[in-house]
Amino acid sequence: MMDFPFVKEAISQLFSKSSCAMYPAVPSQAAPGYRGRIVYHADKCIACGMCERVCSGNAITRTVEHLEDGQDRITLTFNLGSCTFCATCADFCTRNAIELTGDYHMVATKEEDLLVTGSFIKAAPKKKAPAAAAPEDCQAAPAVKPRDDGKPVNDPARCVYCTLCAKKCPVQALTVDRAAKTWVLDEDKCIACGTCAQACPKNCIIM
Amino acid sequence: MFKKLIEESTGKSPWLFHINAGSCNGCDIELVSVLTPRYDAERLGFKLAGSPRHADIVVVTGPVTKQSLPRVLRAISQVPEPRCIVTMGSCPQSGNVFRGSYSVAGPLSKYVHVDVDVAGCAPKPEAVIDGLALAAQILKEKRGQMK
Repeated sequence: MMDFPFVKEAISQLFSKSSCAMYPAVPSQAAPGYRGRIVYHADKCIACGMCERVCSGNAITRTVEHLEDGQDRITLTFNLGSCTFCATCADFCTRNAIELTGDYHMVATKEEDLLVTGSFIKAAPKKKAPAAAAPEDCQAAPAVKPRDDGKPVNDPARCVYCTLCAKKCPVQALTVDRAAKTWVLDEDKCIACGTCAQACPKNCIIM
Repeated sequence: MFKKLIEESTGKSPWLFHINAGSCNGCDIELVSVLTPRYDAERLGFKLAGSPRHADIVVVTGPVTKQSLPRVLRAISQVPEPRCIVTMGSCPQSGNVFRGSYSVAGPLSKYVHVDVDVAGCAPKPEAVIDGLALAAQILKEKRGQMK
């Protein structure tokens, strides 16, 4: 026995449990915080286009289909075969419409199987405008003129009230209410830095 | 009698050949972890082959750079039929973040028929095992058709 010091260990290992993760037989959960398959909540989306802009792999495409009654059907397609799962789209989404789940089973024989799509219908802006809480702003001339003092002006025809400008404002001079569709500038606080215009995904803030 | 035995055995043990087509090494490390004792795909019969002539399944990682493209195609053409080509990660499917680069010739599906796509950047080892299991199934069907 002295010549074979490993015999005892070898025999005990023969009858011990395997150290493998017995994956297909024993299902395995992804670690908390794992960024897997994208789930897109179309009902929350406002089509601001920020996710498309920040995506490094060009995995997100947005198509707009004009319906007969003046409404738009907006479809976002996430190509998981082009995604880096960096979650930048989810971080930038102001409405939390993009979610990266712990589902890692992304195996496909066709490329179409790796697409995650969702669509929603955006109401016509003309119908929405009179119903908005700030009718004076919305009924202003479609081409908004820039102000003389270099402070921002919002074009309500293009604005989707995503509140990104208010979040980026360094002096909290903007108050944007998505439910009431209002965009209010506190002129005393505003320092005319232009951060809101840069942050705006729809380019509707004019300086 | 031996023929039947060989047929059954080859179906149970598809051998892998791994091609790095300009990958960042993330997927390569995940593939290695699939074959090492923690996930141990070898208990399911998947074995890494040193030569493409011994392989049944080709696993391609990376966005297929211009430098690697002729080598990738040459290696794939050396794999005997029936073969199954698996793309691992987002890069060989679309180019991922390297898409549009002057040195990227991909995606791989432009040049060869791809059987299985495993998405992820990099895919989890469990997802790779799923993909390989699917590839083995496809391989079995292909072998049945060749008879």
